[in-house]
Amino acid sequence: MAALGTSPTTLTDAADVLALLVLLSEFAMLRSSLSRSQVRLYAFQSLCVSVLAGFVAATRHIGELYGLMSMSFVLKVIVVPMIILRLVKEVRVDVTAGHRIGVATMVLLAIVLSIFGIFVVGRLPVHSRSLPILPLALAAAVILVSFLLVIVRNDVVSQAIGFFSLENGVSVASLVLAAGLPLIVELAFLFDLLVAVVVFALLMRVHHGRAGTLSTQALDRLRG
Amino acid sequence: MGAVLIAILVLPLAASVVCLKAPMPTAKAVSLTSGVATFGLALTLVSSHQVATALSGWLRADALSVVFLLAVSFLYGATTVFAVGYLRPGEGPAEARYSRRFFAGLNLFAWAMAMAPIVNGLALLWVAIEVTTVVSALLVAIGDTDGAVEAAWKYVLIASMGLGIALLATVFMYYAGSTVLGGSYEIFYPKLLGAAPYLPPEIVRLSFGLAVLGFGTKMGLVPVHTWLPDAHSEAPTPVSALLSGALLTVSFYAILRFYQVTERAIGPAFPRDVLLVFGLASLVLAALYLASQRDLKRLLAYSSIEHMGILAIGMSFSAPIAIVGVLLHVLAHAAAKSTAFFGAGSLIRKFGTKDMDRIRGGIGALPWSGPMFLLAVLALSAMPPFGIFRSEFLIVEGGLSSGATALSAVLIVLVTCAFLGLSWFASQTMLTPTPESVVRGEVSVWMAGSMVIGLVALVVLGLHPPAQLCGLLERAAAELGART
Amino acid sequence: MAGIELAPAEIQVLQDLTILVFAPFVSGAVAHLEGRLQGRRGPRILQPYYDIAKLFHKETLVPEDASWVFLAGPVVAFACYLTVPLLIPVLTQYPLPLGYMGDILGGGFILSLAGFAVGLAALETGGAYAQLGSSRAMTFGALIEPSILFVTFTVALVTATDLPYFEAAAVRSSLGQAIDPAHLLAAVAFFLVVLNDTSRIPVETHASTLEFGMIDEARTLEHSGPAFALLKWGSAMKQLILYVILINVFAAPWGEAGSRQVGPVLLAIPAFIGKALGVGAIFAVIDSSFSKLRLFKITEFMAVAFLLAVLAVLVLFLGAR
Repeated sequence: MAALGTSPTTLTDAADVLALLVLLSEFAMLRSSLSRSQVRLYAFQSLCVSVLAGFVAATRHIGELYGLMSMSFVLKVIVVPMIILRLVKEVRVDVTAGHRIGVATMVLLAIVLSIFGIFVVGRLPVHSRSLPILPLALAAAVILVSFLLVIVRNDVVSQAIGFFSLENGVSVASLVLAAGLPLIVELAFLFDLLVAVVVFALLMRVHHGRAGTLSTQALDRLRG
Repeated sequence: MGAVLIAILVLPLAASVVCLKAPMPTAKAVSLTSGVATFGLALTLVSSHQVATALSGWLRADALSVVFLLAVSFLYGATTVFAVGYLRPGEGPAEARYSRRFFAGLNLFAWAMAMAPIVNGLALLWVAIEVTTVVSALLVAIGDTDGAVEAAWKYVLIASMGLGIALLATVFMYYAGSTVLGGSYEIFYPKLLGAAPYLPPEIVRLSFGLAVLGFGTKMGLVPVHTWLPDAHSEAPTPVSALLSGALLTVSFYAILRFYQVTERAIGPAFPRDVLLVFGLASLVLAALYLASQRDLKRLLAYSSIEHMGILAIGMSFSAPIAIVGVLLHVLAHAAAKSTAFFGAGSLIRKFGTKDMDRIRGGIGALPWSGPMFLLAVLALSAMPPFGIFRSEFLIVEGGLSSGATALSAVLIVLVTCAFLGLSWFASQTMLTPTPESVVRGEVSVWMAGSMVIGLVALVVLGLHPPAQLCGLLERAAAELGART
Repeated sequence: MAGIELAPAEIQVLQDLTILVFAPFVSGAVAHLEGRLQGRRGPRILQPYYDIAKLFHKETLVPEDASWVFLAGPVVAFACYLTVPLLIPVLTQYPLPLGYMGDILGGGFILSLAGFAVGLAALETGGAYAQLGSSRAMTFGALIEPSILFVTFTVALVTATDLPYFEAAAVRSSLGQAIDPAHLLAAVAFFLVVLNDTSRIPVETHASTLEFGMIDEARTLEHSGPAFALLKWGSAMKQLILYVILINVFAAPWGEAGSRQVGPVLLAIPAFIGKALGVGAIFAVIDSSFSKLRLFKITEFMAVAFLLAVLAVLVLFLGAR
């Protein structure tokens, strides 16, 4: 069961398992109905991504990636979930506002999207030096499922978490494809994410202040 | 030359920082100075034939960059003029807080948009556009009405998801480059363009497709345009002008950079087809939706989508003259759309509503802004002697000479549909008798004055674009692969 | 003991006997452990044997409208449960002669045949609860089928056959294989399938008879006497068989006899009982930690199992290119 281009070692298998955990936590986010658990799942997913970054740093001996790994750990596993959790606690809303289609349909759709993403990536002529191609395929699946999460869930926290998990998926893809991206650029991406989080949190709070709820079902005034 | 770039880097940012704490009159003055000065700085770059670089290559301005920098800085200057009149002086702390946030945000937004054309490399380009998204989302929500909050949430969500896809596109392009340039390299344009012919074709194709989808979200291409009408109509008018005139164009610039690399790697056929599909969809949808609008600013927003569609279709024609037309259209649209929004701002301020059913007799109510608004709307519909007529003429000429006659015909038909829609509303709101209850007279000299600037620019571009500008446009078109 | 070798046929019979004899023991041990975990004294470990013996002495009552199918059902099921151990690696690493009779799919078919027979017998009774349980069991059985199929595909993609012996050999070959992601996914998916098929939490509470939640238990409500004894014995055997497949094919295929010598073969028996008890302990812990899912949420549970199985196949597919 070797990936093209690298010999099967326990390390690459472990990297594959980490990427799998990222995808599985994405599915769990899709299913979960408590805002708090969604945020915790996001923290877990970010943890897997950080460990994966550490892997790449170790196997390719890129020292900069260790710095990136610790920064992304602090930011995505600790700071971002804290911000969102604080907002959820303030607002005192526990259960998310629900979804437009049933859970089983959602999971089936998500499976179909994942299959699509994995197949598309499987056809690409990509030979990565840092990781096998499987994490890239799983990242494509994560990105597609995060779109589903944003479309189907009806509340701002789920939609925000959907966007953040999209960024996680792109991070995994960039670990596979562009591990040598200059550190400055990677840091810029990370701080961009932080600023985006702040803006999201702010807008969520403003939305709650006006509408009294975290649901987006009221957001249909502007049409046409 | 490099100093100019560094000045553009520093000036709006400094203005933004100053406005964080300054009272309203100071903020207005500072922003005005910064806006006009940035435009002046951009003008100095027009006639240079060399590529300007600064900060050991992190900033770089070739002809393509200068064209878009011109558009952005022109809008920055005109908008600051308008903003001086738009924000009414007030004494309360609420107005002061609003003014601080507004001007700090405005300058920061303009800074990010000015950065995008002059940073070197696809990665920093993405960062700049992400910053614009974040700042403009806050600006859209600044009005704190129900509609503004809804529009801001939709905008930030959809635009950020789109930029996530664009980031993926950048990563793929980086990977494509790394097969030639090695595992770790700075993703500067000259290097990437030099390696372009050796890049793996499928990866480049995928990257371009994702880039059009991702940056097209911010540009307003159908079907990922859904945030646009809401955001442009609910934002305060100066912000709407910047969004429509500058932000959409900067996103188009990003797509053009990807086009540049793709065209050199796999030839122009594939990117042209992709742009054609999106452009045609945008044009059709916008032309149809224009007829059913009630909100004045939403009408102008759909007109922006229409023009972005025209830009995309223009790029898909294979004649070099079409590309020149596209670049001229970028400038002319910036001028025309800003003037139209400024006029709409005056109308809304005068009549107290955005609903076009309730605005009647604009010409009588606003003796200067009214006729100028009418002229701006006509300009948007490609009426001579304004710049848009010239640019669309060049695009259609390019289409006809490259053999895409059917497409050019469709383009003309759809533009005419849009013209009908726009002019219907313009005549309804402008050319009817003014109701008695409305006080006649201008709302503000500054707001009217900003429209004059735009109209002058349009006339210049339409009648006799200066020779240096023409040279700049041709150099930029050559960079995009147009071989005249 | 020097090399006294058993004939393959003898080992085959020994496999069957092992399952037959020790199934109630494993069942009783798990029930006892569960009781302990929940703070009770728990039933005697050998209780199932006494139950079965007692039932064989009782009389058989048959509902008025039932036909011969009612009595044939438990017998057919029992026969199926006796057949399946011939196909799977219980005691030995190498395939036994009758082991080629059917592969994993074949084993699955026979197990389904057993369930079908019991379900038919339940329908025969005309009782409301029995029919309820029967229809539910059929539905959920159908829903879990895709997961089983995909797990089978995983095995097939790995070894190019779907004989369980070869999958076990592949897992034994290296430690890296054990944490191969596809393998892990398939193992977890199959674990969920076993949860469903042995009627455990979160699908059903096997310890009590709540009519609203009963699925499998309801089917056996109307039986009595020896037929009921066969049913109980059969379900204990089914549980042990599923444990065997989980352990000896996916999770921990070590400790089986590598040769036909008497010593290793006899040693394999306690080894496999020990492993089965370990799995049973895990199930007991799950029983005591989670609550039963509402009936229509069981579809979500199955969706999860399906998801994991599909991902296993996809991961393998991608890895093999």
